[in-house]
Amino acid sequence: MVSQGVRSLRQLRAGDSACVSAIANHRTGAKRLADLGFVDGASITMVRSGKPCIVRIDDRLVGLGLGHQEVILLSA
Amino acid sequence: MSTHVEPLPASRHKLVALAGNPNTGKTTLFNALTGYRCRVGNYPGVTVETRKGLIRSEDGLTPHTLLDLPGTYSLAAHSADEAIVLDALLGELSDVDVPDVIVIVIDATNPRANLFLATQILELNRPTVVALNMVDLAKKSRVHVDAEVLSQRLGCPVIPVVATKQMGLDLLCQAIDKADASPDVTVALDWPSEVTSAVEVMHGILERVANGKDRLALKAELLQTLLGDGGYHEQRWAKRCGDDFRLLLRQQRSAVVKNGDSLASIEGDVRYAWIDRLIEDTVKRDEGRPTGTARADRILTHRVMGLAILAILMGACFQSIYAWSTPIMDAVDSAIGAGGALVSAWLPAGPLQSLIVDGAIAGVGAVLVFLPQIVVLFLFLAVMEDCGYMARAAFLLDRWMGLIGLGGKSFIPLLSSFACAVPGILATRTISDRRARIITMLIAPLMSCSARLPVYMLFIGAFVPDTQFLGGAIGLQALVLLAMYLVGTIVAIVVAILVKRFLLKGDTQPFLMEMPPYRWPKVRTVFHRAYEQAREFCVSAGTIIFAVTVVVWALGYYPHAKSIAVAHDAQRQAVTAEHEVVLLEIERGGDGVATSLDEQTLEMQAKLSRIDQDEAGEYLRQSVLGRMGRWIEPVVAPLGWDWRMGTAVLASFPAREVMIATMGTIYNLGENEDEKSVGLRDKLKASRHADGRPIYNLPVALSVMVFFALCCQCGGTLAAIKRETRSWRWPIFTFVYMTTLAYIGAWLTFVIASKLYA
Ligand SMILES: Nc1nc2c(ncn2[C@@H]2O[C@H](COP(=O)(O)OP(=O)(O)O)[C@@H](O)[C@H]2O)c(=O)[nH]1
Repeated sequence: MVSQGVRSLRQLRAGDSACVSAIANHRTGAKRLADLGFVDGASITMVRSGKPCIVRIDDRLVGLGLGHQEVILLSA
Repeated sequence: MSTHVEPLPASRHKLVALAGNPNTGKTTLFNALTGYRCRVGNYPGVTVETRKGLIRSEDGLTPHTLLDLPGTYSLAAHSADEAIVLDALLGELSDVDVPDVIVIVIDATNPRANLFLATQILELNRPTVVALNMVDLAKKSRVHVDAEVLSQRLGCPVIPVVATKQMGLDLLCQAIDKADASPDVTVALDWPSEVTSAVEVMHGILERVANGKDRLALKAELLQTLLGDGGYHEQRWAKRCGDDFRLLLRQQRSAVVKNGDSLASIEGDVRYAWIDRLIEDTVKRDEGRPTGTARADRILTHRVMGLAILAILMGACFQSIYAWSTPIMDAVDSAIGAGGALVSAWLPAGPLQSLIVDGAIAGVGAVLVFLPQIVVLFLFLAVMEDCGYMARAAFLLDRWMGLIGLGGKSFIPLLSSFACAVPGILATRTISDRRARIITMLIAPLMSCSARLPVYMLFIGAFVPDTQFLGGAIGLQALVLLAMYLVGTIVAIVVAILVKRFLLKGDTQPFLMEMPPYRWPKVRTVFHRAYEQAREFCVSAGTIIFAVTVVVWALGYYPHAKSIAVAHDAQRQAVTAEHEVVLLEIERGGDGVATSLDEQTLEMQAKLSRIDQDEAGEYLRQSVLGRMGRWIEPVVAPLGWDWRMGTAVLASFPAREVMIATMGTIYNLGENEDEKSVGLRDKLKASRHADGRPIYNLPVALSVMVFFALCCQCGGTLAAIKRETRSWRWPIFTFVYMTTLAYIGAWLTFVIASKLYA
């Protein structure tokens, strides 16, 4: 039920930043992401896009596989 | 008030647990506090086993016991090492008590991310101290953390330290010694009312089951269980209370998510909201921090350049193992030969001389020759680990590992298995995907470990021609070595695919791994690591290998029948007598004698030496070992091996390190005195079948190497798999599949190579 305007981390281009709006909770692993700081309002920067990608959250670089990129939804 | 100062009562001995996110410097701090240096690495999850040590302290403080725990981001445990942390902190590890004090290590350069775990641990209501580590780096990156305010808000002491420079450790020790009370201000988070009441309900029901537990700690645990995502918390309670618990959990969870929240993000939302307010009051940072890591990553994590660099690094590693260590190896080899010759000259012939020269020196010495290679290999891995590159390698390879049903995380255990499969298998604890973890363990022993290296080196050195390509940049010998490493790797890939396809079906979890900042490898850490491995290698050479060598020597020496000596003495006498006759003839000046005196003496010596050789060979054939060897010969003959090789391989099933030592002993026993000082490599080249054909040639050498590449000759590995999977099924599976493949592989190699070589 992801509406048209909502984009996931997967669409974020390298160098761009965005805020997390939600974690789509349809897979296990969502809890791990939330605990790492991928929560509502967190600001993240795409460092290297692709499968997997590297994002910066806080001062931490995190490598994320495609499955995780798809459940991290970004606010417009 | 009296002026006299009461002597401080010596505090009770405490168990202190060290917890924190991966890569916050826990291992470094542990080493600094205990003075006992152990493995430190700069990739997430390098501390995989709990380690204990006594805290060194000068000021007469009680030497408390320090417990090092694996790094974790959250108490919501999903992987095996996270489960260990949780069990240890709750005092539920079988061999460790509840910790009296918990030290939380926080990376001062990134306090926000680190505080998540800290708030979880503080809720456990144990005496706690925060070690704010890496304040030197924080200063450099212009991050300022106000330790005092942080301490007030967290309700526990916060001590700034620099673990690498041993700064602030005294204060930390004092704080640990004084920590008796639970945190003053329990971190009060704004949980939604549904959550609080669900926890109350669960607490009311489960209080009896967990009798004697601290009330707040139990509530914290239940909160984690409620908000967890099918993790370890849930499994533990279900094991304790069965299906009733699952039902209770389901009811309470549906009560919590009724208002549309997603269960998985509740804890993160609440904690990070609290942390953000805390950060506002305690952390100041200036923008424009240096970004060396970002610049390095632009190349090192690039999908093409990064992979190329990784490939070059690996190639350089193999070439350097060969190129750098060969001269050192030759030197060690001749030193050992000289040592043997010296002892032979000193000690009278007999069992004692044979035990020392043929058993100890030839056996253990043959293994020690390979120490240089092993040190080079470990240095290489230690540098990659310490500088933070390992996580990038995992990142780059995730997509490729995905093709065989594994993730990038499996790469690190597999790469360390090239040094030794046992730590490799322990390192799989960081893999939260259970199936991927088991597959990684099953194929880890196929990575050519350092104990195989001596076998490769011996046979390559002896039988592969030293051809150089590209003006000496690449040698054929190094290529064959690389091929041996590839054989294991390729078979591993096939095995992984098959196991995933037929035994452990299911989706692979997506990649999730922190990329730690690059740090210059610490020379001390790297050399220490290599030194520890070298020492371990020498210790095992001195114990297991020595013991097996002595057994092999005894089997190969006895019964040492008198009759053999008698028969050969008779031959020797005959030769000497004949020589006397000729001598007399020469003296008489008979002109029918064509040869000179010298030639005659030489000829006699040659005959005598052949008799000695014959005698030594006869002893060996008649020995217990010789008889056993001929008994297994039909099994190994299709692989092109003779009985001596078969025996050595059989002896090395418990630990493959034994192979070279056994060969050294067997070949020395079968030699006459003059040849004992010659290295094993030359002996193999010179050894002949009864009909004069050489026993070893290239096809035989390749067959032996392939066998070693694929065979599971390591009791330690099987024990590790048993312990980690808690079942006999997987170690037995590993042993059977590897040994079968090894035999088939060696046979095919021999047959094909013989065709090509002929
Ligand atoms: N500059 C600096 N580096 C540190 C400090 N503590 C640890 N390190 C480095 O951080 C890296 C990771 O440390 P390690 O002890 O392996 O972390 P662990 O994963 O938490 O056990 C190593 O390269 C250490 O040398 C510190 O206080 N200052």
